[in-house]
Amino acid sequence: MTSLILSPAEQDYIIRGVESGFRADGRGSLDRREVSLRTGMISQANGSARCRIGNLGVGTDVLVGVKAEVNSWTPGEPEDLGSIVCNVECSPSAAQEFEGRGAEEINVELTQLLDRILNGPQSGLDLKKLCIIPKQAYWVLHIDALVLDVKGSIVDTLVWATRAALMSTSLPRVVVETIGDEMGNMQAEFDVVDDPEDLTPLEGAENLPISVTFSQIGKRYVVDASEQEEAVTQAKLTVAVSPVMEICAIQKGGMFRGFPPSLLAEILETAQRIAREELTRFDVHYAQAKSHLSSQADEPSTGSTFLVQF
Amino acid sequence: MSRQELLSPEGLRVDGRRANELRRISCRASVLNSADGSSYYEQGNTKVLVAVYGPREPRQKSLAHHDQATINVEFNVAPFSTSERRKRSKGDKRLLEVASFVKQTFEGAIQTTVYPRSQIDIYIHLLQHDGGTLETCINAATLALVDAGISMVDYVCACTAGFIDETPVLDLNFVEESSIETPDLTVAVLPRSGNIALLQMESRLHSSKLEGVLELATEGCKHIHKKLDEAVLAAAGELAKKLS
Repeated sequence: MTSLILSPAEQDYIIRGVESGFRADGRGSLDRREVSLRTGMISQANGSARCRIGNLGVGTDVLVGVKAEVNSWTPGEPEDLGSIVCNVECSPSAAQEFEGRGAEEINVELTQLLDRILNGPQSGLDLKKLCIIPKQAYWVLHIDALVLDVKGSIVDTLVWATRAALMSTSLPRVVVETIGDEMGNMQAEFDVVDDPEDLTPLEGAENLPISVTFSQIGKRYVVDASEQEEAVTQAKLTVAVSPVMEICAIQKGGMFRGFPPSLLAEILETAQRIAREELTRFDVHYAQAKSHLSSQADEPSTGSTFLVQF
Repeated sequence: MSRQELLSPEGLRVDGRRANELRRISCRASVLNSADGSSYYEQGNTKVLVAVYGPREPRQKSLAHHDQATINVEFNVAPFSTSERRKRSKGDKRLLEVASFVKQTFEGAIQTTVYPRSQIDIYIHLLQHDGGTLETCINAATLALVDAGISMVDYVCACTAGFIDETPVLDLNFVEESSIETPDLTVAVLPRSGNIALLQMESRLHSSKLEGVLELATEGCKHIHKKLDEAVLAAAGELAKKLS
């Protein structure tokens, strides 16, 4: 993905290390790095979060903003469903080759992957709840992610940040009125309540899946690969698992080698175990982010306090 | 169409400021770990994040100058930055314009001859937009460049000023800026010498009024200089604490 060039000696060191169960940063093959999570720093978005996965303050850094808009229904669209639109952008601050149009390919890849995880029944979000009036109006959730830094495991960071952003999302209340005319025809009208205090949290966001990415290095595999490890990764498998342990999305990447089916079964089993641990970890971090946000409620809202704490 | 009242008879503006008042500024250097220099700067509700890389080897050899550094600026607006979501393509002319203004401004301020055959990248992210994009970008970039330790002649401080109802007003917000009748003057100065690094005006203004508006904007730049200086000292203090 990134243009990190490793010498053959370094590559060999990483591969043999992984094969004998050691990683360059001292982790075991299934250990994950530290996570920093903050929510609610973009005031004009309906929900926002910033997540960084990495040790010692250096790591993959993603900022996600969720914006809800009312769209009017056009024929051909589902009649009683809302919609989710994902958009991922890699900033040139992550890598120089993302300058100009250089990030287009990876942007599309990540956007499609996020869309695969979120857009559909697998996300746990009830899209019917996002419908305001069938065949008339519905909510669109625009999920915009900005990747500020890439140090391995970009997909997992992206899913963490998106999950936190959606959990912190709240929508304005909508009042639907049904008016019948003298012909007996019923007509529905709606009104979005314009009150920053009168918001309802997005339903079902806690059912969103979490993703675990496995990287095959040599004869073994690791989770949460670092930048160096990604440079020697032969195959990559991302598995999204919901809180009820359903597999919501799978994507295999990496062009050097295929996965043997026996390994696949093993990985899927491990993925569920790790996802359970990750979800507990997520809840802890999310609760921390929430309490952090409410502790600064008295201070004037400014993003810089959030950046200090990060 | 009735025109929105931008300056009340009591002399207050839409957001409750007086005519010569700046919005609240809070800024901080060294916010991203992997960048050589970075800054977060907010002026009222306009929020900008800047990352500076370099001096480093140019990406394209053909762009390298044998006697000075090349400055490269990329300006990016987050889709969630405005009240209505809008995605802009990389080739959007308005984005390119801001990037080129920032580039031109800093070409005069950075001592480019100190870094021959190299490139300095300035990546600007607008996270929230509420008027005064160019001024916040320049101020944030100054802070990030200082944080990166790049030799500069002086700080570059930018400020906007407008002219509403026969009164010069400082630091226009989005509502004031988008009113067509309001002239919108952005000026960037090097505070030590007082030289003007950038001057840009939209709409029209009687020539006799220009001096007053320019003076007000320059006054604003001096305040911003103080704020930036504080942020640089704070970042240096933190660094010193880490070393000791």
